[in-house]
Amino acid sequence: MLILPALVLLAGVFVVPLGWFLIGAFRELGEDLWPQTLAILTSRAIRTSVVLTNWIALTTTVAALALGYPIAYALTRLKGLAFSCLIACVVLPYFTSIIVRTYAWMVLLGRTGVINQILLDIGLVSQPLALIYNRTGVIIGMTYVLLPYMVLTLYSAMKSVDKRVLQAASGMGAGRLTVFLRVFLPQTLGGIAAGALLVFILSIGFFITPALMGGQTDLMAGMLVEREVEISNNFPVAGIMSVLLLAVTLILYAVYLRVADMRRLLTA
Amino acid sequence: MTTTPITRRVATIGLGLGLAAPWVRRARAATTLYVRTPGGVYDDIMRKSVYEPFLKETGIAVVTVPSTIGKLLAMFKSGNVELDVIDTADGPLLTLDRLGALEPIAYNKWKYGHKDEILAGQALPTRVATYLYATAMVYNTKAFSADHHPRNWAEFWDTKTYPAQRSLPDLSSGEPPIEIAMLADGVPMDKIYPIDLDRAFRSLSKIRESIPKFWDTGALSAQMMSDQEVTLAAMWNGRVQALIDKNAPLAIEWNQNMIQLQALGIFKGAKNPEAAQLFVDFASTAAPQAGVARELRYAPANQKAFDLIDPALAAQMSGSPKYREIGFFRQIGWWEDNRDRVNKAWSTWILG
Repeated sequence: MLILPALVLLAGVFVVPLGWFLIGAFRELGEDLWPQTLAILTSRAIRTSVVLTNWIALTTTVAALALGYPIAYALTRLKGLAFSCLIACVVLPYFTSIIVRTYAWMVLLGRTGVINQILLDIGLVSQPLALIYNRTGVIIGMTYVLLPYMVLTLYSAMKSVDKRVLQAASGMGAGRLTVFLRVFLPQTLGGIAAGALLVFILSIGFFITPALMGGQTDLMAGMLVEREVEISNNFPVAGIMSVLLLAVTLILYAVYLRVADMRRLLTA
Repeated sequence: MTTTPITRRVATIGLGLGLAAPWVRRARAATTLYVRTPGGVYDDIMRKSVYEPFLKETGIAVVTVPSTIGKLLAMFKSGNVELDVIDTADGPLLTLDRLGALEPIAYNKWKYGHKDEILAGQALPTRVATYLYATAMVYNTKAFSADHHPRNWAEFWDTKTYPAQRSLPDLSSGEPPIEIAMLADGVPMDKIYPIDLDRAFRSLSKIRESIPKFWDTGALSAQMMSDQEVTLAAMWNGRVQALIDKNAPLAIEWNQNMIQLQALGIFKGAKNPEAAQLFVDFASTAAPQAGVARELRYAPANQKAFDLIDPALAAQMSGSPKYREIGFFRQIGWWEDNRDRVNKAWSTWILG
């Protein structure tokens, strides 16, 4: 009952206009709908891009998890000022424009950027590393943008872990690693699943970061949709592509739910 | 006790004002003109030299709104036109015009400017050119010099004589380097159109290795050039000049520059059609255009504006008579007919 206003709002300002747009776009096509859909499905560029999109989203999710987990864990341990500082570090960038943050990365990661200067000065590398305008750049940029989602989701999961259970485990003679691996980690799996799903789904629709920080071939599906609107001005085709992208996401989501359920069954 | 009537009176006035509010807003809305612009520095310069003098002259305030062509099309198709005037490259205006989304410009009612002052052939029924900008070759003067740098696009393609990382515009900039690729392949400037796309992409493939990234936005091209991520590029001249003015070690090679037009059009269904006509009239006159051109270094389309510009400064402007001779105009008609084809070919090529 309490989520009813939220649902009404979402339906009113998001689902209805979206449906209206898609119906309008498809009606414009009329009988061309199926041939167009087939043409999109069989286009090599689009297939390559969809595979690439999923691969980038997966890598970003893994990177965000690897970075986010220790940060979230630290957050549960810290108190007072230290806690406030760390949470500010995680959340504050979230309030800055994505474009500004992306340009900041260019200054840091560029061939003559801060990071390469330091690496060259201390003699760790003899040639500037290619950290941006390639796949590495895309992953760095996207992981950074999506990290808060991962950290906050993991933090809430970790916060609900009963500390006394951990103490009990140590009291029974378990080492710190054993406590972590066998008691703490399993209890945060739900958080990991939720955080990973959130980051993955958000990643799939990205287009600003890959457009600015990626290389020649880092053409994600969202960028193709945008080009269909802005360059070809072909709303119907953009509509079909978005629906297909949504379908891919939903299928993955369904598979994911299955896997997540299986795991719950196994641990039960 | 004595305060009660006053409070009541205040309340009544307040209520009255509240009820009148819709009319008050309406009265003000008649003097507000919504103009689509590219945003950024362009807006600041336009405000100083065009919008403010226009406000002083007519009492009409200009509100600028950034918007992509996709958004404009969506507005038009849904019948919910929120803008009055569209200030953009002439290509998107042609797109809108072919859909019947532009109002004819009432040249016969112009009271500030005159149609004959505009660059020949660019005062068209539904759009009028305002400025000329160019996509030109730019090089880093630390890596190259005035004596040693590519002097045409064929030389730009010569990665042996001029080894360097390069950048060219991406498809999503709206201007993929198709003409440039043709020039590089030896096609003369007056024989580019109609473009043989296969040949253009074969030509692009030859230089692909030296291009870490095609730039999507003017800002990105400027960033890559000032970070020395690349030392050779094709860029919009206004962006280059802004960097040179900040002492960046860059120089422009104007040979074979591609000239494009910024133009104004009036949205069909605009809420303030009269104000829109008046604005297009005013913005097409010499004085405001000279003011903008001085700062933006885009040549004015109003040829009389050159009388108000220092010749030394005019020499830095794209589309000035001098650079028009060694450059060519981008043919938006060809692009309008082939944009979808180029979009598909580009995606296939870049992922291939």
